[in-house]
Amino acid sequence: MMKSDPMTDTLPPQAEVAPPPAAKPDHPMRETMKIFLRNKSAAGGLILLLAILFATVFGPSMYGVDPLEMVWVPLSPPGDGTPLGTDYIGRDILAGVLVGGRVTLIVGAVSAIMTIVIGILVGAFAGFFGGRTDVALMKFTEFFQVLPSLLLAMVLVTIFAPSLFTIILAIGIVGWAQVARLTRAEFMRIGNLEYVKAARAAGAGNAYLMFRVILPGSLPPIIVASALVTGSSILFEAGLSFLGLGDPNQLTWGLIIGQNQNYLLDAWWTVTCPGVAIFLTVLAISLIGDGINDALNPRARKRA
Amino acid sequence: MKHWKSLLAATCMSALMTGSALAEGSLIVGSVGVPRHFNGAIQSGVYTFMPSSNIYASPLRYSKSWEPEPYVATAWETSEDGLTVTLTLRDDVKFHDGEPLTASDVKFSIETIKANHPFKTMLEPVASVEAPDDTTVIIHLAHPHPALLLAMSPVLMPILPEHVYGADAGDIQQNPANLAPVGAGPFKFVEYKQGEYYKLAKNEDFFIEGKPYLDEIYVQIFPDSNSLILALERGDVDMVPFVSSPRDLKRLSDNADLVIESDLGQAIGPINWLAYNTKKAPLDDVRVRKAINYAIDRDFIVNVLLQGQAPVAPGPIVPGSPLANANVENYDLDIDKANALLDEAGLMPGADGMRFTITADTTNGSEEMGRNLLDYMKSQLRKVGVNVEIRIAPDFPTWAKRISNYDYDVTIDKVFNWGDPVIGVNRTYVSSNIRPGVIWSNTGQYENARVDELLAAAATETDQEKRKALYDEFQEIVVDETPIYFLNVIPYNTVYKKGLIGIPDGIWGAVSPMDDLRWE
Repeated sequence: MMKSDPMTDTLPPQAEVAPPPAAKPDHPMRETMKIFLRNKSAAGGLILLLAILFATVFGPSMYGVDPLEMVWVPLSPPGDGTPLGTDYIGRDILAGVLVGGRVTLIVGAVSAIMTIVIGILVGAFAGFFGGRTDVALMKFTEFFQVLPSLLLAMVLVTIFAPSLFTIILAIGIVGWAQVARLTRAEFMRIGNLEYVKAARAAGAGNAYLMFRVILPGSLPPIIVASALVTGSSILFEAGLSFLGLGDPNQLTWGLIIGQNQNYLLDAWWTVTCPGVAIFLTVLAISLIGDGINDALNPRARKRA
Repeated sequence: MKHWKSLLAATCMSALMTGSALAEGSLIVGSVGVPRHFNGAIQSGVYTFMPSSNIYASPLRYSKSWEPEPYVATAWETSEDGLTVTLTLRDDVKFHDGEPLTASDVKFSIETIKANHPFKTMLEPVASVEAPDDTTVIIHLAHPHPALLLAMSPVLMPILPEHVYGADAGDIQQNPANLAPVGAGPFKFVEYKQGEYYKLAKNEDFFIEGKPYLDEIYVQIFPDSNSLILALERGDVDMVPFVSSPRDLKRLSDNADLVIESDLGQAIGPINWLAYNTKKAPLDDVRVRKAINYAIDRDFIVNVLLQGQAPVAPGPIVPGSPLANANVENYDLDIDKANALLDEAGLMPGADGMRFTITADTTNGSEEMGRNLLDYMKSQLRKVGVNVEIRIAPDFPTWAKRISNYDYDVTIDKVFNWGDPVIGVNRTYVSSNIRPGVIWSNTGQYENARVDELLAAAATETDQEKRKALYDEFQEIVVDETPIYFLNVIPYNTVYKKGLIGIPDGIWGAVSPMDDLRWE
């Protein structure tokens, strides 16, 4: 026997909740972009990142030197036969930096995606369901937050032989806690807003509510966080490589630094060049993250 | 002036750490190795051997030219058939606790070493030991054993006090006397703070008149070699043995206050090499192994990567040994020959120019003689179409497990000669020593009947000329069939302050007694 649901009885007609047709000329995305580009440091960061991407994608074939080839006298300084000098075996540092950038950026991006996905999932469930689910998931998150992340990553990489896959996994596992807390807070805030209640009342399922209704509204801070996470993932990979825990068969900036750290005093360029590359990339990503933050922040919008 | 300043610094430092000032004529030795205990009769490793050789006396010691010299034994005689060795001991040797050292202590020590020392082959032929009176020891052998005299060096045969250990003391590894050693050597044990320092003091009743010169030796243990080298540069320590990093040596050689002694310790004989798993395809083909050797430029490794600080190791026996054979294949760089050998082995390059991939193992740490060499190999072997995947074990046990269970293609390894081939060389090549799970056994699974025969014959050959001939042939075969590509001798140099003289510079280097060491 069917029982009429009291909720459906009191639900107002659909047409009434639908927003009035907007007569705004500017798409919100475009407006955000405008504000973003008006921010000089953010625009600079974007240009820098695009330049770095261009260099790592097209640079190796344009430069044409094999980074594993021993091309010149070992530890020769920049300008003396090679543009950025050679390492202790005689491999071209510039070629290494160009080729190493690819894997470095991929590691940064993939581990950032992993961090974000785990973080959003955990945070969404905790914030949406609340109660015991929230307590359990947040205790779990806290467990990862109190562990020193570099140490945990080192342990993980050491247990499973250092390879690109385990390194990405390790960075993802140690980095998601903050994203989870951020997502949870946003979900709790937005979950109580009228439009979410309305959608719930209209019969939307939990999954639909979480990922189609609440998530889009909570994205701005997560986007900002993901930019920062990408930067820190690159630093993490470099740190692990510096400690000799990188994948020895994948050329990354961190690996070049790790391999040459013994020659720091005799040949500064071997570690400085990849180091500067890491610095510039992380700087660019941070500037972009800052810019996005400003652009997506309603208060900044008013200022602008 | 320098010396006075250093003493002052040393005194202050020691006063801070131990609460007592060091007397004049003291020495601060810097070290990174933490000895488990001080009993070299049952434990190997240079960091145990260094104190053990100074605390305990031994029957013989060795000159720089590999000749035995009297120490506790004044005479030694090998019978015509080589089956009996008779030692005549001094009658005036006393242990640090005042008890006399007699033939029964020597008998006890030989039996203890035979039963417990990690170097199993060292005293294996000893059938029985007799002590007919206080100053005579008769050693009966199952077969002639020319390595026996070298095995009576301070480093390998410390004379333990039987009255301290007792005949039925149970497990000798657990005996407290290992950490509070009583010997008859030039220095007495004073105290040990595990992982921090240990202190030795002059043995006033040492049986060699007027020696030792130093009143105290204070061995400070550093957490890592970087801080140790810095302390040496600052003048906080007077002497550092076993400095092997080419980078450190290069840097220290520019320091006008320090002297680097490199011509010592040949008997320790540490070799850094590339070991092949000779049972694993394609490395089971000798042509493939030779091709890899020819593609690697050993001169580049020694002169550039190791900065000219480490000598080439041409074969399985270190160049400083009287048994070394320098007339072996040198594997001079020859890319064409390497390619030809690989073609001949039927390993044609694929579409990408690569013939096959091998995994190359090493451990984390000691990059200069580990990972850096593999990085070089990776770059170099691409020229002959061999792809190298580097695999770095995070710690020693992981690496040892892989290698000793034959789960590898090639690996960097460091293996020590320990004076006589019977002690430290044979183990890597005789087929009877292919023992799964045991590191530094024949982990390359190398088998050659002629090598087995030669090494067995040389182990019992008492005529030095004939013995050398047997080892010469052995070295030619092993270098030719190349279960191992020998790279370099690890420099075990002693670095010390100017003004220090009488550095232990014999064939055992820094693991010899320091009774001649003193300030000018």
